Amino acid sequence: MSEDLSRRDLFSKVARGTVLATLAGGAGFLVKKANGQVVWQVNAARCINSRLGEVGVEACNLCTTECVVALSAVRAVNEYSKCGRCNICPAYFNITSAVNEEGQPSEKLCPRDAIARKPIGKADPEDPANNFYEYIIDEEKCDGCGKCVMQCKDPLGLGSITLRVRYDKCVNCNSCAISRSCPRDALMQLPVEQALLSSVLKRTG
Amino acid sequence: MSAYSQMRHGAGVALALLVLALCAVRNAPAQAIPYERPVETAPQADAIGGGYQTPAVQKPRPRDYWLQVLDVMALAALMGISVWLVLKRRSRKWLVALAIGCLGYFGFYREGCICPIGSLQNVVVAIVDPKYSIPIVVTATFVLPLVVALFFGRAFCGGVCALGAIQELVVLKPVQVPRRLDRALGWLKYVYLAIVILFAVRPALGRDFLICRFDPFVGFFRRTGTPNMLLLGGAFLVLGMFVGRPYCRYLCPYGGLLAWCTRLARRGVTITPDKELDCGLCAGACPYGAIEEMRAVGRNCLYCARCYSSCPNDGELARAKALVQLSGAAPS
Repeated sequence: MSEDLSRRDLFSKVARGTVLATLAGGAGFLVKKANGQVVWQVNAARCINSRLGEVGVEACNLCTTECVVALSAVRAVNEYSKCGRCNICPAYFNITSAVNEEGQPSEKLCPRDAIARKPIGKADPEDPANNFYEYIIDEEKCDGCGKCVMQCKDPLGLGSITLRVRYDKCVNCNSCAISRSCPRDALMQLPVEQALLSSVLKRTG
Repeated sequence: MSAYSQMRHGAGVALALLVLALCAVRNAPAQAIPYERPVETAPQADAIGGGYQTPAVQKPRPRDYWLQVLDVMALAALMGISVWLVLKRRSRKWLVALAIGCLGYFGFYREGCICPIGSLQNVVVAIVDPKYSIPIVVTATFVLPLVVALFFGRAFCGGVCALGAIQELVVLKPVQVPRRLDRALGWLKYVYLAIVILFAVRPALGRDFLICRFDPFVGFFRRTGTPNMLLLGGAFLVLGMFVGRPYCRYLCPYGGLLAWCTRLARRGVTITPDKELDCGLCAGACPYGAIEEMRAVGRNCLYCARCYSSCPNDGELARAKALVQLSGAAPS
């Protein structure tokens, strides 16, 4: 009886040691291979909303509807150094709407009113057309629907607004729900440092 | 009137006419004007003037690495506490408190990511795909609960796992699943494990992470999700009121691995034989069918400590009894 017990004990000791060694070996292999965290980012060259030449089509809002995070982890981001700061910004105004008495389109484009417009620099109230305006996107309101991105690109705008994954919101799913449904396969996985650069957002290629 | 002032006058009239014309255009039945891009290049701060400075573009970073490491250390520490609470303190009360804490942190605060259950897929992919690598924290998240299981059993399942904790807290009126049905359903998790691995080892384009996609509770943790996801989670919770922890016992693929490791465990929840009092209250109290013929079956034991708290010789009941005896109120 006690001999049987001690044999069982020995067996379980050996088996446990084997499993531990396997786990340690496997973990060692994976640690050796480890290469830092990769995160999802929108490839602006593929995204319909930002890709040059994609004009006259409806803006794609799958980033809003597919993301598993409430209000999506994707935001429209204005790269200020590239912004034309136009008086009539095609991403801020719905330029197909009727013109009001101030000479501006009467409707805004953003369905959630997430863009704020304010005059900057040496503002001349007599000459609004030649003033500069700053367009700031409120990330608490924006849900990444892409409407403004579609408008702010050649030939209408300068293309300063792109869709970007925001890492304070993204939960970094193994299989990004947006990427699964994106018709252009525009979501890519990159090392964090690369994904944070704006230079990954080339419009062509 | 000099020629100069005449000219000025003329210019003034022309300007007035222009303004009038413009007003007329503006007041005319409103219509969209053909839009033309006013600029070709982006004006920079010095061109804008007025002391303007280009605002910085916000670039929020992902969760800091040291915080991720801290999460892994928390995982290890909480499993240790779980082992201590169940095996040493034998306290169900404190285990429930631990479960609530873990559900709050790993579930609702960390929104269910990363978890050892899901990391299983990343580990599998990283092993087979030479181009795929995972951060060290993911490897650690996967390995730690298995190591604990090798020595103490499924301490991770007890209260540390957010998916387990949410089910643990809804157990209301558990029925004992007939032993044979319980065993048969228990095989499902190995079938699911096999399917998960099959989908994970496919080439990058066809790869799929089924555990994450069909995680029934992550929709609750994130307070958002597709109707199907929330419905599935709700169904599991309702079922879980009457069948203890259905996901853990019958579907969780990681639970399958933990069960294998637990077979080799040195220690775990045990029901001590007692010649005088083999009352079987513990077996009745176990909602997970983990007590067979009065003995705890480690691989099915989910570390809930109900058996201890129901035992008249143990835990809170025993302490109460001892107190009563000490005060001399009980006839001895």
